[in-house]
Amino acid sequence: MAQPLNIPAANVRVHQDHIGGGFGSKFAPDIWDVTGARLAKLAGQPVKYMNDRRDELMIAGARPSTFATVKIGAKKDGTVTAFESTSWGTGGLTGAGAPPIPYVWKFPFRRNHTAVSTNIGPSRAWRAPNHPQACFVTMCALEDLAAELRMDPLDLFIRNLDLKRTDRPDLYKSELLKAADMIDWKKKWHGRGDSGSGSVKKGLGLSLHTWGGMGHASECRMIINPDGSVAAELGSQDLGSGTRTVIAMVAAESLGLPVGAVQVNLGDSKYPVSGGSGGSTTVGGVSASTRRASVDALEALFKQVAPSLNADPANLEARGGRIQVKGDPSKSMSWKQACAKLGVTPISVIGKRTPGKDELINSGVGGVQMAEVSVDVETGLVKVDRMAAVQDMGLVINLKTAESQVLGALIMGITYSLFEEKVMDSRTGTMLNPNLEFYRLAGLGDMPEFLIHIVTGKEQDDRGVIGLGEPPVVSPGAAISNAVANAIGTRVGALPLTPNRVLAALQKKGGVS
Amino acid sequence: MRAFEYASPTTKEQAAALLGTQWGEREVLAGGTDLLSLMKDFIVEPKRIVSLKEVKELQGIKFSSSTGLRIGALATLQELVDHSAVRKDYPSLRQAAEGVTSPQIRAVGTVGGDLCQRPRCWYFRNGFGLLGQDESGKSLIVDGENVYHAILGNSGPAYFVNPSSLAPALIALGAKVRLFGAKGARDVEAAKFFVTPRSAQEREYVLGPDEIVTEILVPPAAGSRNATYEVRHRESLDWPLAAASVSLRMSGKNVSSARVVLGHVAPVPWPAPEAEKVLAGKAVSEQLADEAGAAAVNGAKALSQNAYKIQLARVAVKRSILRAAEGRA
Repeated sequence: MAQPLNIPAANVRVHQDHIGGGFGSKFAPDIWDVTGARLAKLAGQPVKYMNDRRDELMIAGARPSTFATVKIGAKKDGTVTAFESTSWGTGGLTGAGAPPIPYVWKFPFRRNHTAVSTNIGPSRAWRAPNHPQACFVTMCALEDLAAELRMDPLDLFIRNLDLKRTDRPDLYKSELLKAADMIDWKKKWHGRGDSGSGSVKKGLGLSLHTWGGMGHASECRMIINPDGSVAAELGSQDLGSGTRTVIAMVAAESLGLPVGAVQVNLGDSKYPVSGGSGGSTTVGGVSASTRRASVDALEALFKQVAPSLNADPANLEARGGRIQVKGDPSKSMSWKQACAKLGVTPISVIGKRTPGKDELINSGVGGVQMAEVSVDVETGLVKVDRMAAVQDMGLVINLKTAESQVLGALIMGITYSLFEEKVMDSRTGTMLNPNLEFYRLAGLGDMPEFLIHIVTGKEQDDRGVIGLGEPPVVSPGAAISNAVANAIGTRVGALPLTPNRVLAALQKKGGVS
Repeated sequence: MRAFEYASPTTKEQAAALLGTQWGEREVLAGGTDLLSLMKDFIVEPKRIVSLKEVKELQGIKFSSSTGLRIGALATLQELVDHSAVRKDYPSLRQAAEGVTSPQIRAVGTVGGDLCQRPRCWYFRNGFGLLGQDESGKSLIVDGENVYHAILGNSGPAYFVNPSSLAPALIALGAKVRLFGAKGARDVEAAKFFVTPRSAQEREYVLGPDEIVTEILVPPAAGSRNATYEVRHRESLDWPLAAASVSLRMSGKNVSSARVVLGHVAPVPWPAPEAEKVLAGKAVSEQLADEAGAAAVNGAKALSQNAYKIQLARVAVKRSILRAAEGRA
């Protein structure tokens, strides 16, 4: 922001308390940010700059497209021996990244991707860049292979997991079995298109996904005041995903205080630097820096109160709002009494998460999703009836917000699978649906039953904190498309699964089997 | 949105006097669910808005078993859904209103507004005029993005589809639309209320620029079996891709006469006399309903992207007939 405005960076202060969604716009300032600042300078007044819905949908950028053809070599028992893909896609003017195909699976492969530049407006990071595209291409091709081999795709996936053809194959296998149990896969699954008479056909589909989620660099200032109040300060921001909650919980648990006792200050560049919230890197970054700041601040407090308790500072602990000698609650004082020992000088400590390996946090998650759909083969309408999501995310800080992340991802996933599509007029170059009327988002009536299971346990806890924002949105496209193929007996080769496309696929196949 | 003058008359005479003889300068406001978005997108730029909200005589729904329903133009879609006579004798109307699946829109959107709302054609809504043409007058739709456009009555120059949810049901039920203007009141058959414009300067109905819709008169339907079926992409608020309303007069188990009207498939609500002929004198079965559906789209002609709508229209006719015959509410 300083450079385009030609002013010293020290003269720029950024406030961003509440974002309410990041939507790929969380790193460098965009043209509208700079324009707003320039206008404010010219006017000598505060300026609010807002892209209305039409502007936002037309110019802010969209997820790049991907198209692909795939050839798979496999044995009759479902063992995949080779995977070849030729893919292409466009991110508009700015090109697009290459989706990692084959996705998750480590098959012998050959791939060729062509990024095409077009005049349809810029691309922008869309929750898990490149992953939903790569996942769709890979998992749909494998489901088609299973149908060709007349195998249950669950068995095909497990066979290749048993051959260790992914990272963490045992985790994926246990997740597949858990999801299958939740959605009653073995009882409900049928061969492709073998879905009985009547105009509504049921089907099941599955998919796997992964993501990095290593915490970004982060600094947290922990302040313990003589009056007992506690503040954690980070130049981070809350996209609405619970960053504040997570910071408060880590600090509170470290200090032996209730969550409400920790004031979390975010959203201002006057606080210590703590990376941009993209790539599911926030929770790892802020939890590591907050943990370290809390532990160091507590150590400083122990030094101040140890003489009053006739104890070695290393022998103190903070529990239930008190400072006490380890294992001896009779030798203790309240948090407030302890802080009063600080006199007039608060404790102020910086905790850091620096780039590289870190014992508190980790990267790389595995998740499995299954979808159950009903397809009306007379109208081509797809209804998602049920979705099961099993998600690993390392150490879970807060189960409720973790489950909420998965729920949000599934809702978003159904939306891109069934509805979302940017329609450009080739003659005029106009986006014809820059609104929420024909750029459809799923509403309440389109929601299925959601079944969510977050993997927990010692193995997860030992790995440490890993970001969760992106991974659960990767699989829905593939899982839902696979379920539709299973229901109607043929692949609808594109998303979103509109009535138009479903009916065209059925017609190409020669009607309903 | 441009600045405008806001007039709030309390009688229909005052309202008519505040309107002009040219389209565009003055617009009528009822629920506002369409007009406001048209104004925000600069598709209409009236200098004066004539609000009907205070014209009390346009409100309410009345019913008598001898004359049928009298629906005030300002009655909301929700009032229609909730009305006891509508629930009992006019399921096709209730189903059509419930097809607007947003409680907020049903609570403010009016019956008159449903009839007078402008097409949702995305060329029209993006500033390419009512007919979606380039500067030379060539259609952008025929070779363009026509996935939601007309499959019937689409020989041009209009390719949009009529957006009304209620019109197919009202036409099938034999309703009349009462208009009021400077020259007084007149009644128009609902079937003749809509017209296909030949130029972008015309409108999609016979209503004059100095007239308002005051009420809708629906004859008694006791003894008829009527139903509406819509195919929508979303369960949540969405425009139908195709819809059909039917009204069947029965003689024992057989249909004595039928009215079948399609929606969202042509620039006007589209009566299907071919389907009516298939049904007349026969007992409704799945096969007969399917034959009627096929007959209804016999003359349909797809544009480059919308052949699937022919199938959807056919299914909507079939399912509306079956729904009516079953007497399902």
